[in-house]
Amino acid sequence: MTLSLGNNKYNRQNWEDSDFPILCPTCLGDNPYIRMMKDKYGKECSICERPFTTFRWCPGRGMRYKKTEICQTCAKMKNVCQTCVFDLEYGLPVAVRDHALGLKDDIPTGDFNKEHFHQNLGKELALQGDDLREAHSAPNAFLERISAGRKGPYYKRNLPHICSFWVKGECRRGEECPYRHEKPSDPDDPLSVQNIVDRFYGTKDPVADKLLRRAEEMPSMAPPEDKTITTLWCGGVTSALTETDLQEYFYQFGEVACINIVQKNSCAFVQFTKRESAEHAANKCYGRLDLKGVRLNVRWGKPQQSGAKHHADVEKTTPVPGLPGPLPNPGKVTQYDPSKRAKLAESVPKPMSEPIDLPTMGAMGAPRAPSEFAGPDKGGNSGFQKIHYPSQSKDRMGSGKYSHMAPPSQYNNANQGQKRPGQKRAASDWN
Amino acid sequence: MPKIRRTRKKAPEGYELIEETLNELTIKMKEAENESHEGKRKVESLWPVFKIHHQRSRYIFDLFYKRKAISRELYDWCMREGIADPNLIAKWKKQGYENLCCLRCIQTRDTNFGTTCVCRVPKSKLEEGKVVECVHCGCRGCCG
Repeated sequence: MTLSLGNNKYNRQNWEDSDFPILCPTCLGDNPYIRMMKDKYGKECSICERPFTTFRWCPGRGMRYKKTEICQTCAKMKNVCQTCVFDLEYGLPVAVRDHALGLKDDIPTGDFNKEHFHQNLGKELALQGDDLREAHSAPNAFLERISAGRKGPYYKRNLPHICSFWVKGECRRGEECPYRHEKPSDPDDPLSVQNIVDRFYGTKDPVADKLLRRAEEMPSMAPPEDKTITTLWCGGVTSALTETDLQEYFYQFGEVACINIVQKNSCAFVQFTKRESAEHAANKCYGRLDLKGVRLNVRWGKPQQSGAKHHADVEKTTPVPGLPGPLPNPGKVTQYDPSKRAKLAESVPKPMSEPIDLPTMGAMGAPRAPSEFAGPDKGGNSGFQKIHYPSQSKDRMGSGKYSHMAPPSQYNNANQGQKRPGQKRAASDWN
Repeated sequence: MPKIRRTRKKAPEGYELIEETLNELTIKMKEAENESHEGKRKVESLWPVFKIHHQRSRYIFDLFYKRKAISRELYDWCMREGIADPNLIAKWKKQGYENLCCLRCIQTRDTNFGTTCVCRVPKSKLEEGKVVECVHCGCRGCCG
């Protein structure tokens, strides 16, 4: 006789009634205008299995219709969204948030215990009013960091499910099929086995495990023991970012001593005058920072490398014996004298106007052995006897690649005497 | 086989001309009613029924209003016999509803938000939208 769910009053104490769902913005979708359907006692909660008011809406064009999966009592208990069961503040799985905040809930999961718990919980929550789990006053830095990894709302969650008929090759609907015609995720992938009950209680959640693992592997934000380090290392610096950009951002934390950008490694070193400013900056933007659209990876700078030297990146190769040392620096560059250059074409670029003071290195002619040389440091002839490359030997011409095509011996003998490794050939050597 | 005669009188003149087509449509309708449901969605099995119903009514409507090939008497007789659907034809006479697929698609009480069916949306407004087959009658767009 009483056909409507709303009319029948028997045994309805445990049934939940609500006016509006508790949802996260991602689940609601990108469109600010939503039409939502309310169904009193539409489904039973996935966790406590009691009937509750379901809400159903379309989260955007091309998305599937989403509905609330867990009841409000369960959602309030864990402070999560009613559909996706992610935290309302951070958008993270329950397990991750609880691990970070050190919360441990011993909610019974068994049959009767669970029913009893949820029954009483409903009454308690009603008495407490709208107490959505003490809002933690200090925004947890760890959680902020993990959730900062997500740049914007993840709407892929709202996509239609995979068309199981299409997977078997049997989809008759073709064009008008509202389900996705895509390959399903790999069944071996641990992320593809997810269960709403497990995710809610925080046990056996592969997504949470992955996030926590990733968080552990991130270098810790703790300031380095060496108190003199005031440098932050920034990775991912593209050519779009200049030192001024970095300066403009980092000076809010304190005075910046210097900024070094190493374009080759796409990194930058920001050195502060005070240790506190460096720590403050690290607290604010350790790990990830977005400047002018460029995503920077911020870490503590390693000692002794505040940008001046980059030896760590340079591979140490065995020095080749017999080569002359590095050329000495040129002498003092005199000021540009336009009168002497008047005859040259206009396209010749002008040299710098300031004289450059470079350390002169004495005689320019003598080649010097490099400092890493283990061998005798006499310079001059000693280099000739060591043959590192085959082409350095006197009885060969060239690299040896075409030695099987050696020219007739008359040419070989003629040139032998003149061959000296490491010396420039005079113009007369070439025919 | 002959349909059940609802009126007592015999068919008016001119019926012999349309009798053949009408019989074909009746047979088609019977086939559609008795089709197996295998491989079809639950709603999809009903679509041919609506289609043939539309087709039959369309035939009578066209004969009378467009081609003027049958008499008023015969037309009214068909309506009374249940060969054509008077409610559907009444909609076809209105502007904008000339191609209406079925009466379910304009019934706002049937939808969640009190709107008409998606097949009533003009293709231009549907915006890139893929092919839509409305859930009531499988129509792919009956406006304009």
